[in-house]
Amino acid sequence: MYNLFIFIKKYSAVILFILLETLCVVMIVHSLPYQNRKMVNMSNDIAGGMYKTTSNWKDYFNLRSENEILAQYNALLMSKLANESADTDSVISSEKFVFIPAHVINNSLNEINNYIVIDKGRTDGIEPGMGVICDKGVVGKVINVSNNFASVMSLLNSYSVVSCRFLDNQYVANVVWDNKDFRYGMVKDIPSHLIINKGDTLVTSGFSNSYPADIIIGTVESNEKNSEDMFSTARLRFATNFSTLRYVYVVKNNFKAEMDSLCITH
Amino acid sequence: MYNTLIRNILRFIGLLFAQVFVFDNIRLGNYIHPYVYVLFVMLLPFETPKWRLLLESFLMGISVDIFNGTPGLNAAATVFMAFMRPYVIGITSRKSDIEDKNEPSVSEMGLKWFLVYALLLLVLHNMVLFLLEAFSINLLGLAMLEVLSSVPVSLLAIILIIYCFKPMKK
Repeated sequence: MYNLFIFIKKYSAVILFILLETLCVVMIVHSLPYQNRKMVNMSNDIAGGMYKTTSNWKDYFNLRSENEILAQYNALLMSKLANESADTDSVISSEKFVFIPAHVINNSLNEINNYIVIDKGRTDGIEPGMGVICDKGVVGKVINVSNNFASVMSLLNSYSVVSCRFLDNQYVANVVWDNKDFRYGMVKDIPSHLIINKGDTLVTSGFSNSYPADIIIGTVESNEKNSEDMFSTARLRFATNFSTLRYVYVVKNNFKAEMDSLCITH
Repeated sequence: MYNTLIRNILRFIGLLFAQVFVFDNIRLGNYIHPYVYVLFVMLLPFETPKWRLLLESFLMGISVDIFNGTPGLNAAATVFMAFMRPYVIGITSRKSDIEDKNEPSVSEMGLKWFLVYALLLLVLHNMVLFLLEAFSINLLGLAMLEVLSSVPVSLLAIILIIYCFKPMKK
């Protein structure tokens, strides 16, 4: 017994080191599947509040360009409204998607798994699984919600897969990130007989209940054809500029529960 | 005694905020990510017991993690760095050199020694960090590239911070 105490005293630093490292690795492994980001949820309200303060300061530097973007988007919406004013009543009564505007208060680009924090949370009706878009295109998906904040897994994440569709020929594929550059992603699972041209537009397929159909994801940058494979891949330039992201819209699908109930569960 | 304690607390808060609100927002290409909060562990006094070294660096790492939403990642790298610190001091200096010194800073140990010391610790920290972040052997090349490109920028940032806060000669 005495020898044991001597041993522990002699190697206390090593034992503490191993304990702390084990604790860290457990936390990392625990957080790997993105749904288990409990700790982030816990600290979201503290860190989120502080990020909001710095974000408030940063906003002043972008006021002019932000105004321009909002004015442009406003004009676009007005023109859409003008076209649809003929049957306004029917549009409102069968509203499937509701858009909740939110403000990006923290954003990462350089990690392998990037997340965005927005300033709307459970009290604003945001739930995990909702899609997030901006005026340019798709941004990501809500994965964690606290009372006043939510964390969003952006497209720049190794766990992110978005079902997409070629705008001109309706073929379906999947968009993932290439882990390197925040401007580019990869289109996977394209049937190899399909001829892909530079500049082809990819939009959301609308299969996932998270995003409405026909939201732009990006355009094809180059084709990486692999002759042996049944499916080919292409490089994609995201429509969304993740480095200047400030205003986003969370997509609320009013029929999500109903659509999910139709899915066969095992 | 109290002086050192208060200075370390201020250093902790200052470096934490500098990291999460300033340096995490600096984007120099895709592979460069400057880490300056490790300066806190580098500057802890020579006679700090090992267990306190480990616990304090764990606290620093986990605080950065809370802001970055990466539980355990920075903490693991920082604790590893703190564990290796006595060995790095051992191979870069003789025992007689550090006997009458208080902390491993530029003003006490000289710039040349500090550069070697900080470089070795930064490489150790960044290696663990990027390897844990990649968490797969496929991305090993990418992780190494990140280490090679981030370490010099971090080192430069750390030296700049030190010279910004250098006390006046008495």
